Amino acid sequence: MAALSFEGVSYAYPGAARPALAGVDLAIEPGQLVLLVGGSGSGKSTLLRAALGLVPHFHGGELRGRVRVGGLDTREHRPAALARQVGLVFQDPESQLVMGRPDREAAFGLENLGHPAGEIAVRAREALAAVGAAALAGRPAAALSGGEAQRVAIASVLAMGQPILLLDEPTSQLDPVAAEELLGLVVRINRDRGVTVVLAEHRTGRLFAEADRVIAMEDGRLTVDAAPPVAARALAASAPWVLPPVAQAFARAGRPELPLTVRAARSLVAAPPPAAVPAPPPFPAAAGAVKAHKRLGDVDALAGATTAFERGRVTALVGENGAGKTTLARAVCGLLELDRGRIDPVPARAGYVGQDPAHYLLHDTARDEVAYALRNLGVPAPERERRVQGGLARLGLDGLGDRHPRDLSSGERQRLAIAAVAVMEPELLVLDEPTRGVDGLHKLALVELARSLAAGGTAVVVVTHDMDFAAEAADVVTSMAAGRVLSDRAPRTLLASGIFFVSQLGLALGRASQADAAALLRVADRGWRSGADVASPPRPELGPPARLESWATPTPDERPAAAARADGTANG
Amino acid sequence: MKPLPAALLTGPPLLAAIAAWSPLWLAAATVGAALLLAAAPPPRRLYAVTAIGSGLVVFAINPFVSVQGLTLLWQGPHIPILDTQVTVEEVAYGAGAGMRVAASALAVAAFVRLADPDLLLRALARVAPRSAMIAALATRMLPALERDAAGIVTAARTRAARMSSPRTAAGLLGPLLASSLERSLGVAEAMEARGYGGPRRTRAPERGMRREEWILTAAGAAALGLVAAALVLGTTDFRYYDTLGDPWRPAAMAGAAALAALLTGAATVVRWPR
Repeated sequence: MAALSFEGVSYAYPGAARPALAGVDLAIEPGQLVLLVGGSGSGKSTLLRAALGLVPHFHGGELRGRVRVGGLDTREHRPAALARQVGLVFQDPESQLVMGRPDREAAFGLENLGHPAGEIAVRAREALAAVGAAALAGRPAAALSGGEAQRVAIASVLAMGQPILLLDEPTSQLDPVAAEELLGLVVRINRDRGVTVVLAEHRTGRLFAEADRVIAMEDGRLTVDAAPPVAARALAASAPWVLPPVAQAFARAGRPELPLTVRAARSLVAAPPPAAVPAPPPFPAAAGAVKAHKRLGDVDALAGATTAFERGRVTALVGENGAGKTTLARAVCGLLELDRGRIDPVPARAGYVGQDPAHYLLHDTARDEVAYALRNLGVPAPERERRVQGGLARLGLDGLGDRHPRDLSSGERQRLAIAAVAVMEPELLVLDEPTRGVDGLHKLALVELARSLAAGGTAVVVVTHDMDFAAEAADVVTSMAAGRVLSDRAPRTLLASGIFFVSQLGLALGRASQADAAALLRVADRGWRSGADVASPPRPELGPPARLESWATPTPDERPAAAARADGTANG
Repeated sequence: MKPLPAALLTGPPLLAAIAAWSPLWLAAATVGAALLLAAAPPPRRLYAVTAIGSGLVVFAINPFVSVQGLTLLWQGPHIPILDTQVTVEEVAYGAGAGMRVAASALAVAAFVRLADPDLLLRALARVAPRSAMIAALATRMLPALERDAAGIVTAARTRAARMSSPRTAAGLLGPLLASSLERSLGVAEAMEARGYGGPRRTRAPERGMRREEWILTAAGAAALGLVAAALVLGTTDFRYYDTLGDPWRPAAMAGAAALAALLTGAATVVRWPR
């Protein structure tokens, strides 16, 4: 019997014009690890909610077809009953912790299911230990970081011992290190405990090759449902942005192989070290800080930071959590007073897009939201309308102008927040973690936006943990630690050679961006054997390389998932 | 802290704020509640600002809406609806009413910050499960609400909004409420996903009371007894109109001083372990 099955399932939220799920047929076997990919609003979250009966029992709306979980029909059983079979971890850690402490959080579900009192404490502790959160047990929930809170959320579901675990973009609020740890944990839970896992995720680099199946969704329908290598081939043509970054680079270069992991990419191409690239010539600074000091609570958030953000450049501001990136960004935008030091130069107009897009939702339509800043600036109505239309279109929101902002998906909200600030055409624009919850396609749009704004003379600063995004968008990289600037305006190739702050392509090929990697791969195909400027790469010992065109007609059994996982290569 | 000592500590200033008339008793309740809140875990600022701000508003408004008292302090120009003849008694009554409002809000805030919301939820779940869950979640969500408020103001400022304008500031309350409701909906969904509302709920075993909680329980009970006795004996009474009574009666002074001392001592004990 399938652990989870959908039979002809269609569903529309109350008042929605179009269905969130449209004719979904799906059966997931016990013990499988399924990766669910697709753009924002494609139906991934709704599918997971339907599996737990939250759709329609919690959200209302009309559900057609049948969803069965462990043999139980979700129409006939409420989520409280289905919770014995299936657990769901949501996107936002802050909105899913109910209790004030992690140990009580882990006990909450067990109490609801009526477990004996003596058993609850033991299982809660074990679950916390299993996710490496035992040390957090007595801490206040409000003091947990995003990564810690998400671990606790997983522990609280794990403690309930359900055979099926669903995760809805669990890493969207996390930095890359925390995300990597969490995804590793999910794989361990599946492999070691035999728990069926269905995970919706934008960051596919870690999990694509590990999954037993990859399911892609678009407009509420399943478009791909296959083993990772087969799915990769299909998606390389239709939606390459959902592939792991290394696979994207190979597809972009027109290479026949599609490695799904860093290791597999390395086995295919022995990349020479990148040539030293100087930082681009300096442009006039739009804003900067000189020996900036700021104390927040008991912490020196800024301890003498000095830097400048140049017009016409995209600067990636990177550093670990607590390095002072956001504090510096807010200070140069005039949103924070320094204790010592100065902001110099002071930007004539600065825009800051913070980490929570919900803070930018003040109006009843997306159009009004974008117009708000222009009204405050006294921009005349005709010009305002023109700039609003342009702002919406630039961020891929042109069809959503009349929608209520709070009806938008998390990725759409993020883009709306950026549009609402960028429309002011500020001299300095700071985007603080702009890729949270944003799918690969719109991440590319963000790269284009940052570049086009910089091309127009804006100083664009992206504060980010997303090294792949930073590598694509940035001209220069400024890294911070302990409130100080460690390296100022380094070339973006820094992101290919770092140890901690390094893109996937940097790890695999020693190149920071997709364009650099694709250029390398094209050269590798043509010139390496000539020995002109690079060493000849060893040929992968994976059988004869398949041609891209031969991937058009894959058969599910031509390459078993387990074998594909072993080498992580979609090589047909 | 367990809900029982928290309730016993914050109950006396709340009771005094509601039932007493003497300015000394009201001042003791205000100071005591403020000290308890100051000793409670953060965040506290939003609560303190709201409570004291509300008290100041009441203090400022009363002389202009009340038409009582015989001792003229200031005669202003004629303004329709408002009473611009301000008397000493109106000012004193306004001060008392302001302290009443501030002390009540501070006492409730101190309870919210002192009582462990999880234990409160468990304690109340047996008698009123839905109300208990709402109360406990509201307690949990207040720090998030404070963060949201700061975030919304920052986001508006970066979009060239003039935050000095009362209209602009008031316009941010709706989005703050919407954010709060949205977050609540998320939590409610997460609760349902984890089986809340099932037929047979059990409880994990909890620790017993700590020594300092016993001390605070005793101090709170003593303070409650003191306020109750003072109310019964009439030492908390005071006359504001037509002329002010004598606020410095020995019984009122002694009682108010005892309440302030008990609450100050309790606040010290609350803060001690941290």
